[in-house]
Amino acid sequence: MKILLVEDDAETAGFIRRGLTEAGHVVDHASDGPDGLHLAMGGGYDVLVVDRMLPRLDGLGLVRALRAAGQRVPVLFLTARTGVGDRVEGLEAGADDYLGKPFAFAELMARLNALARRPPMAQEPTVLRVGDLEMDLLRRQVTRGGRRIELQPREFRLLEYLMRRAGEVVTRTMLLEGVWDFHFDPKTSVVETHVSRLRAKLGGEDQPPLIHTMRGAGYVIRAPE
Amino acid sequence: MTLLHLLLTLLGTVALSGIAWWATTGFALGQLTGEVERDAGVLVQAARLGGAGSVALSLEARLAADRSGTQYFLLAGPDGTRLAGNLATAPQQPGWARLRLEGPETAELLALGAALPGGGFLVVARDLAPVRQLESFLLGAAGWVGGAALLLGLAGGVLIGRGVTRRAARMDAALARVEAGEIGHRLPIRDGGDEFDRLAGRINAVLDRLQGLMQALRQVTDDIAHDLRTPLTRLRQRLEAALRDEAGWRGATEAAIRDCEHLLEIFAALLRIAQVESGARRAGFSSFDLSSLAATVAEVYGPAAEERGQMLETAIAPGVTAFGDRELLTQALANLLDNAVKHGREGGRLRLALSPEAVVTVEDDGEGIPEGERAAVLRRFHRLDAARSRPGAGLGLALVAAVAELHGATLTLADAGPGLRVTLALGPSRPGRGAP
Repeated sequence: MKILLVEDDAETAGFIRRGLTEAGHVVDHASDGPDGLHLAMGGGYDVLVVDRMLPRLDGLGLVRALRAAGQRVPVLFLTARTGVGDRVEGLEAGADDYLGKPFAFAELMARLNALARRPPMAQEPTVLRVGDLEMDLLRRQVTRGGRRIELQPREFRLLEYLMRRAGEVVTRTMLLEGVWDFHFDPKTSVVETHVSRLRAKLGGEDQPPLIHTMRGAGYVIRAPE
Repeated sequence: MTLLHLLLTLLGTVALSGIAWWATTGFALGQLTGEVERDAGVLVQAARLGGAGSVALSLEARLAADRSGTQYFLLAGPDGTRLAGNLATAPQQPGWARLRLEGPETAELLALGAALPGGGFLVVARDLAPVRQLESFLLGAAGWVGGAALLLGLAGGVLIGRGVTRRAARMDAALARVEAGEIGHRLPIRDGGDEFDRLAGRINAVLDRLQGLMQALRQVTDDIAHDLRTPLTRLRQRLEAALRDEAGWRGATEAAIRDCEHLLEIFAALLRIAQVESGARRAGFSSFDLSSLAATVAEVYGPAAEERGQMLETAIAPGVTAFGDRELLTQALANLLDNAVKHGREGGRLRLALSPEAVVTVEDDGEGIPEGERAAVLRRFHRLDAARSRPGAGLGLALVAAVAELHGATLTLADAGPGLRVTLALGPSRPGRGAP
């Protein structure tokens, strides 16, 4: 991926840049708002990582200007301001995701992947498929290899969240936000418990597992090779 | 202010005098006119019945009876010569006229002329002096009253003004003492309770609030300084140890990261409490399904309870809506349940209930909180001695208290015998009517 990083703190910028480069991405870096906006307007980026507090033009202003100019590139806000209202404000300005500092690098990576691969808002699918697993979103039914699987509403939401991002790593925090609407870490094993229950319901004795745990990062659902 | 008051008093006096003048003199003049008309009518009638001779007789009789000397008459023959009466001459025109008597006694007369049947002319007149006297009396009275009002107003104004100045000076002096750092000093309030006392009461209330906020701020600063020093010291020790022991650097680094995360969490919690206490979040209030929120929180903390072998019972009334900040209430409920799991007995029983009246109850069966400590645990960083060994920074209940206050909800800690029962009474949902 080609990623534009707009961050004024040199140390943080270096840390992110190193991590992303090691993961095989191309990173451009701007250290203030106007420079960042100038680079972003040039286009060609898969995703933008923007700090909220920037010199001369803050992150909110940058994203607003970008959106006003018709640039649809996905933007992730990175910020030390994690007040409840700040996140809503950021999303309203046109950002696509919001990550508070400090963050684990795996979390940033997972969210960037999710953003960059987000399909254009075309036709909403009514059926999600991963291998022989099928989810009918209209009838709210799940089958695997033709066998009906009964799921609790929360398990259904969890599976839907994973299947919509099939092949991508989904972090625990993303699941807490997307499935439970929890915007802070309750420090309980609720995600792990639900994932293992879901796994048990999906997997027969002879069927290969679909949901995989990525140690230190999160989960991914993918069809068996 | 005093000048305006004076001007208004003066204006009122003048207007009142004018009205009195107009009514009284008008009445007196009307009386006089009536008398003249009546006399003239009677005399014309007499002329019709008895001729000019009887009119002359009647005039003599009237003049003889008039002690006040205010009546004047003139009877003239058809040729215009004076036949009787005390007026020497008078213009012989029918209708009303004003005459002026010159000579030793000047007088202003109101006269009515009338032609007599069968020839001759009659003039009946009255002295206007009584009316003029009344007028001058009224004018004098108005002058006196006006003067007195002016003086009284002036004196009253000066007195009130001096009173106002003195009391303003006293308030100013009291506020100056507060400004100089005597934050506990208050404005004097008299028993009377006028506008000044109400104002002083309001200012005192504002000062009370400021003092409370200052104390809270000082408390927070002290708490932060005290409670962050411990984990920071630990972090520093760990890093120093890692420098000496190169083999253990990995474990030490991981521990240091955990310490940092813990510190950052404390900061985040403190900031959140401060943000909630500022009341700024009230603008984002909306109606939401409290029942589903309670169920979600119970679900999220279920595994934690299970790990400690606890039974988490729920009794959640369906379809209860609340008006407020959904995220903050999620956090508040989460903190309550988190506390219950941590402080409840291992292998014990927990309970989360939501009544149709939007009252949330969280119960555990742990050691509970002694009655004397219940108010203190709502403060930042306050931890019971018994809880010092367990994880947590003592910020959970402080946030719950702040969220409760933001929503105008009642937060009660009680004995669950054994254990702690926390009740958060949100009250009925109030969409559209704003925050309580």
